[in-house]
Amino acid sequence: MATRLQFENNCEVGVFSKLTNAYCLVAIGGSESFYSIFETELADVIPVVKTSIGGTRIIGRLCAGNKNGLLVPHTTTDQELQHLRNSLPDSVVVQRIEERLSALGNCIACNDHVALAHTDLDRETEELIADVLGVEVFRQTIAGNILVGSYCALTNRGGLVHPHTSIEDLDELSTLLQVPLVAGTVNRGSEVIAAGMTVNDWTAFCGSDTTATELSVIESVFKLREAQPSAIVDKMRKSLIDSYV
Amino acid sequence: MTPNVKRPRRKLVARPVTFSPFARSAAHLASAYMIKRQMIENKLHESCQHTPNGKCCGQRNIDETDSDSDEESSEGVVQADFAFFDPKPDDFHGVKTLVQTFLDNEEWNLSGFVDLILEQTTVGTVVKLEDEDDDGLFSVVTALNLGRYKASDIYMQLALELDHKCMKELEEYILSVCHESNLVEQLRLLFSKRARDVGLLVSQRVVNLPPQLLPPLYDALFDEVSWAVEDEPTEELRNSFRFKTYLIVTKIYKHKKANGKLEKKADNEEEPVIYVKAEDELFHELSSWSFSFPLKIQHVTSSEASIYLLIFNNILCPRTLPSFSFFTLIFLFGTLRANTKAPVTVPSAVSYNVNLLVSAEELRINGVGYGSRSRQNPHIPTAVALSDRR
Repeated sequence: MATRLQFENNCEVGVFSKLTNAYCLVAIGGSESFYSIFETELADVIPVVKTSIGGTRIIGRLCAGNKNGLLVPHTTTDQELQHLRNSLPDSVVVQRIEERLSALGNCIACNDHVALAHTDLDRETEELIADVLGVEVFRQTIAGNILVGSYCALTNRGGLVHPHTSIEDLDELSTLLQVPLVAGTVNRGSEVIAAGMTVNDWTAFCGSDTTATELSVIESVFKLREAQPSAIVDKMRKSLIDSYV
Repeated sequence: MTPNVKRPRRKLVARPVTFSPFARSAAHLASAYMIKRQMIENKLHESCQHTPNGKCCGQRNIDETDSDSDEESSEGVVQADFAFFDPKPDDFHGVKTLVQTFLDNEEWNLSGFVDLILEQTTVGTVVKLEDEDDDGLFSVVTALNLGRYKASDIYMQLALELDHKCMKELEEYILSVCHESNLVEQLRLLFSKRARDVGLLVSQRVVNLPPQLLPPLYDALFDEVSWAVEDEPTEELRNSFRFKTYLIVTKIYKHKKANGKLEKKADNEEEPVIYVKAEDELFHELSSWSFSFPLKIQHVTSSEASIYLLIFNNILCPRTLPSFSFFTLIFLFGTLRANTKAPVTVPSAVSYNVNLLVSAEELRINGVGYGSRSRQNPHIPTAVALSDRR
C-alpha cells in the first residue's frame, strides 16, 4: 500500500528516508509525525532507524542499500557509522566507501538482485557494490541521465523510471533488471522519482503532492495491491473458476 | 579585446579538473557567481503593455544607461528579459518553492494554498524569463480574498473542509503567534466578520530579483484588482475584489538589542530593522497596525545579515557585526482612498519610493513624477522629506 506524507512541508520523502526490505532509515529533525508514519506502517516487521549522514538529513540520497547491505559515503562520521551498525540487523553489512561521487543514493539504484550504477563510478566501488550488496552491477543511463539512482525507483517486483525514457530503453532496462518497468512521475509531475518516493516490496511512501493517478501507477507497477481483495478478480480467477458454462 | 566579450569557457560543471574538496568548492562558488551575475547585471528597456481586459502580459523593462556596478565582472553584462504572466497550473512547483517559508516552518496545507493562488488568474502575477519555456519562476504576487474561502453554510463547510483548510490553518497560525491581546481581537474580527473585505497580499520572490521590476509588478497587481472590480463575470466576484484592507505577512531582520540602546552605539548607522523586501518598509509606514514575532527557522547567520545591511543602507563596513535575528512582521494597512472608486493609491507611493531606493543605490535621484504624484494624495510623504531621511 502506498502512503502519502511530507517532511516539514517538503514532498521529497525519498531524500529524507531510505526504505529496503530489511530496514528503514529516517532523517532526524523532522517532526515526530514523519517518523511515526513509518513506524505505523513498518512496526514490528523491520527496524526504523533515525540517523544522519555526515551531519546532514539528506540520507536517502547519500546512501544506497538493500537487504544484504548498506553503503555509506566517506562523509559519514564514525559515530554515525557505529550507530548504523548497532541499530541495523546483523545480516546487514554496513560499509563506508571512499568514492568521489559521494551521493551514492543518486548514483546507485538497486534491489536485492541487481543494481544500476553511475557510468563514472570507480572500479573498486563497483566491486564493493557487488560484494556488499550481493548484486550484479550494470552501468547504465536512464533517459540520457547518468544519475540513475535519482531517476529510478527499483524493487524486486517492479521499477518506476524517468517519464522521458524511450520504449527501447525501457525494454533494454527491463531485460537487464528482469522486472517490469514503467515510465512515470511522482509528486505532481516531478521527474526525480527516487527523491519523491521510497519503496520496498510491500509498501511505498510518496510525497503528499502525488496525484491519485500517479499513486495508482505506483501501486500497480510495484505490485503493492497484492493483498487486496481485488487479487481474486484479477490473478486468481483462472485457478478458482473451472469453466464457464 | 573589449571587456564585454564572453570567454569561451561558459560551462563550469562539465568536467572538474581535480576532485579535491577545495576544487569542488571553488567550482561551486564560480558557478553560483555566474548565475548571480545573470540575475543582477541586466539591461532592461522600458515598454509597457496592457491588454484591453486588464491582463498584463508583456515585457516590462526599465532603461538603464549605465551599468557602473560591473567593474568586477570580466564576463560583461548579461541580458535578461523578464516578463509578467498570469498564474497557470503549470507554475505549481515554482510557486510552491517561493511560498515554502510563508508560515515559517509550520506544517500546513501548502499545496492547497498554492492551488488557490494559481486558480485566481485574474488577479496575480508570476515573473518568468520571457522566451524560455523553462518553468523558472522568479517572483509571485497576488491578493487573495479571505472571505471567499469561508463556508457560508454547513454544506459548503463540509465541501470546503478538504480544499480550503489551508486558509483556516493560515488564520489559526496568525492568531496563535500574535501576542498582543488588543490586536488578537482585531484579527479575529478580520478573519470572521470582515473577512470579505480583507485581501491577503502574497508577494514572494528570489532575493536577487532586480528591484527595477518592483514598481511595475505592484502597479500590475493593484491595476488588476481595480480591473477585476469592473470586469469579473459575477457580482460576487466583483465584490470580492473591493478590498478595504490588505494583510501582509513578511520577513524582516530586527536587531537583537533594538530597544533604545542604539543611541549609545558608536556606529549609529545601524538600523534597528532591516527589511528583506524594500517595499515592506513603505508598507510598514503606511500600515494601520503591525506586529512582529520571532521565527523558528534560523535563516541566515549574522555575517550574512551584515551583507543585507550593506545592500540596503549603502554603508561601507560596520565595525562590529550586528547580531540580527529573523522576525516575521505581519501588518495591515488600510487602503488609502482618494475616492471610492480607486481602490488604493499605495502603488504610486511604492513606485516612486522604490525608485528612490533603487536610484539611491546607484547614486542617482530620479526626479520624474514626484511632485505631481505627491499632490494627489497628501498622505504620502513628499520627496523632500524622504531624501532628508536618506
